[in-house]
Amino acid sequence: MLRQAIQRAAGVVCLAVAALAAGVVAPSVAAAAARPSEAQPAGKVLQLAIRTDGPKSLDPVQGSTTYDNLACAQIFETLVTFSYADPGKLEPLLLTEMPRKEEGGKVWHFTLKPGVRFHDNPCFPGGKGREVVTDDVFYSLKRVADKRNGLKNWWLLDGVIEGLNEFYEQQNAALDAGGTFDYDAPVSGFVKINDREFKIRLTEPVYRFMYTLSQFQMSIVPREAVEHYGKDFAFNPVGTGPFILDQWKPKQSLTLNRNPDYHDVRYPAREEWSREDQRRRLHRPAGERVPFVDRVEFTMFVQDQPMWLEFDVGNLGYIEVPNDYFEQAFDKRTKQLSAAMQRKGVTAHSDQLLDFIFSGFNMEDELLGGYTPEKRALRQAIHLAIDLNEINEAWYQGINVIYDGPIPPGLDGHPEGGRAPVSFRGPNLELARQKLAEAGYPGGRGLPPIRYFTSNNLLNQQLAEMLKRQLAKIGVDLQPQLVDFSTLIEFVNNKKAPMFGFAWGSDYPDAENNLALFYGPNESPGSNHYNYKNPEYDALYERILVMEPGPERTALYEKMRDMIIRDTPYVGSMARTRFYLIAPWLQNCRPTERMWNWIKYLDVDDSKRPGKR
Amino acid sequence: MWAYVLRKLLYNIPVYLGIILLVMVALRVNDPVAAYLGKNPSPAQIAALRTEMGLDRPFFVQYGDFVLRVVTLDFSERSWEQKRPVGDMLRASVIPSLAITVPALVLTTVSAVSIGLLVSYFRGRLTDRVLMFAAVIGMSISFLVYIILGQYFGAYWLRENWGMDLFAIQGYEPVIDAGGFHSGRWVYYCLLPVLISVIVAIGYDTRFYRAVMVEETGRDYIVTAMAKGASKPKIMFVHMLKNAMIPIITHVMITFPFLITGSILIETFFNIPGMGRTLITAINAKDFPVIQAFTAVFAAVFIASNIVTDVLYALVDPRVRLS
Repeated sequence: MLRQAIQRAAGVVCLAVAALAAGVVAPSVAAAAARPSEAQPAGKVLQLAIRTDGPKSLDPVQGSTTYDNLACAQIFETLVTFSYADPGKLEPLLLTEMPRKEEGGKVWHFTLKPGVRFHDNPCFPGGKGREVVTDDVFYSLKRVADKRNGLKNWWLLDGVIEGLNEFYEQQNAALDAGGTFDYDAPVSGFVKINDREFKIRLTEPVYRFMYTLSQFQMSIVPREAVEHYGKDFAFNPVGTGPFILDQWKPKQSLTLNRNPDYHDVRYPAREEWSREDQRRRLHRPAGERVPFVDRVEFTMFVQDQPMWLEFDVGNLGYIEVPNDYFEQAFDKRTKQLSAAMQRKGVTAHSDQLLDFIFSGFNMEDELLGGYTPEKRALRQAIHLAIDLNEINEAWYQGINVIYDGPIPPGLDGHPEGGRAPVSFRGPNLELARQKLAEAGYPGGRGLPPIRYFTSNNLLNQQLAEMLKRQLAKIGVDLQPQLVDFSTLIEFVNNKKAPMFGFAWGSDYPDAENNLALFYGPNESPGSNHYNYKNPEYDALYERILVMEPGPERTALYEKMRDMIIRDTPYVGSMARTRFYLIAPWLQNCRPTERMWNWIKYLDVDDSKRPGKR
Repeated sequence: MWAYVLRKLLYNIPVYLGIILLVMVALRVNDPVAAYLGKNPSPAQIAALRTEMGLDRPFFVQYGDFVLRVVTLDFSERSWEQKRPVGDMLRASVIPSLAITVPALVLTTVSAVSIGLLVSYFRGRLTDRVLMFAAVIGMSISFLVYIILGQYFGAYWLRENWGMDLFAIQGYEPVIDAGGFHSGRWVYYCLLPVLISVIVAIGYDTRFYRAVMVEETGRDYIVTAMAKGASKPKIMFVHMLKNAMIPIITHVMITFPFLITGSILIETFFNIPGMGRTLITAINAKDFPVIQAFTAVFAAVFIASNIVTDVLYALVDPRVRLS
């Protein structure tokens, strides 16, 4: 019976389904000739793009990427931050003023801004967010030391605050022994004066401490929320920021609503803006209270085409210009905005990134490593044979900045015009061949193939082929090893990659951050992936750590830079310039990647939208 | 029949355990810990992370633990990357994938079978040649090209030039929720990806079904039916289609497990949070809990669909006996 039914149905099922499909689709198409009538939120809505699959976590202590930063910086706040008008300058955010130095910078005195409240949330009694107090700061910093949070950011505080390392060891040992991590255990460097005032005592007067406090991972969180939500705190973030999480669809979208109780933060005053920015009228809302918009909607874009098309139809406030679309946005030669974009009222902005793009050598490698004149000559020969300009023109439209040394443009110690007194920048094939001969490999004879590890995306694959071709000119056989990113890190961490393609983005605008990459004790798996060890360099690094900015420190930066160039533990360097397009309806926008809490300064003018969503 | 199904299920248990074993071994060839380290990790921190991920345990303990979780349908283990329970991730991504793949499969199969019947009816004539030529052209073009052009013309160009906001450039809103099925949302967010999927698959499927139908047209029962004066539509749609059901079922059922895997390219370009995108992200991030759970679910669906296929053969064709 069943069989007969199926046999009968089989003959007509396809037609039936076709009819059904047509029946469903046709009226639906007609009904949905416009967008589906979703309930639109009232007020000003700002739509922005995130050009990847977005944040991995909304718990700042577990974050590390720029996209974690972008998301967390809207919800949480740090004690200090960089100024929107002058991103090189620190300013107080949760403090009444910048912390005061005592004992030559070994102790910092903080005063919390009154009236800063956490977002309303069920974790608080009555659901009403309470005021931020000293204990919240200490609790938030202690969280960085808790291994249950992954210790991803422990390096920021490791050895910096008096007593924190002991706390880290004792509490994590207690966890290992099956006990609990006691957040109430004292840290000698945390000195509470009252609920609004406290001091932090450092192990030594490390200048970068203020920069560390500006990192989003140091955001202040309420203990009640962390304990209430446990592992799900990352999905129920509670902070003091200008926006409150409405919905996070991982890898798809993130929507935030305005925090109605946001503390008094004002748009930067006119005099804080540069002349160029004032000419662009960025100072217009000076002194007005922020945030301006009621809702922010981030959409994640793994592919560039949908992001580009969404921007073109007016659905996104600003976008980073993808490489493939550069010539649609700008004149390739003049780098000026294209006429088509200008007609649409789109404006452009460029931002010099604190980038250090390089190909590193493992200084412990039998072939490429070492500090003898021959070993140094081999690395210098490779450096001299590589043409960074060709790479820049071929893959980056010539917009990257090429420079000597590891210090990116805009920071103390960056060589004037990008050219250092000591330089092995190629292409100089004659000198490269000479150096190769000095290394004991005339014409590359007797030199074994060099394995070059890089992550296996299309760009890196093409870049590796170009490097191979360039080095072949002097008789060096480069063998690219394309591996996924985690495998690349594994090889580099285990000191198994003789040569590798990497990049470093400065965490804060101080060359010390880049010079730390060559500090001996930071060897792999630390950030000194070159395993560069030079006692003289290490001693200088320890000196600059406690120095304030000034000519003396800059002179040491330059000396260290030149030492590195001479020893050549890498081939480089390049820094990217990010180009942005800004929609006519987006106001006050000057994108920067040095910090991300500037979304609160943005405003929208719906009258300038081509078609409001 | 039930004895057969039970026997097949029992036979497939070692196969299933073997699949899980192979995947877990393959995943552990490279160390995933490096992908989850922050800057400047110390060896102690790396060891601590390895312990937290459970990778310090002997392999067969990890294997046994995972198999036990699968048997008890416990997918509460958290993703290393997203820190969400894996079960939540699978549940959240399966509907968006099915919202694309099921309609695409239905439309493709109905269209391809219909065209297959049509061209076999007109075999060797202009209609046959034109449609087969179009099918070959369609098969020769990359999926990526269809997606890029489909997104550009279907969503962007129509809106910019004709003011027709028929399809979203990208994005997805749940088509099924507490409020029921939202056909408007489905049309706006899913129809364009579905149409692209259909266009991509229809060339290959049409050629396949044409070959099946052509083979049937030479059978004795067709000649008999014609001799008895049966109309051509009746011969095509009743006699021929019924007898061609075995290859049709085989073809559809092979596709069936892949319905849940979604399409990585479609989901990535259209920002649809489906299984394909979830899986590829997990693979890139070496997110073992997600990859393992996905494999377990996929293998189970694959085995189940194989058994269902055998049962369907017996139901459709009396000559097939389940033994």
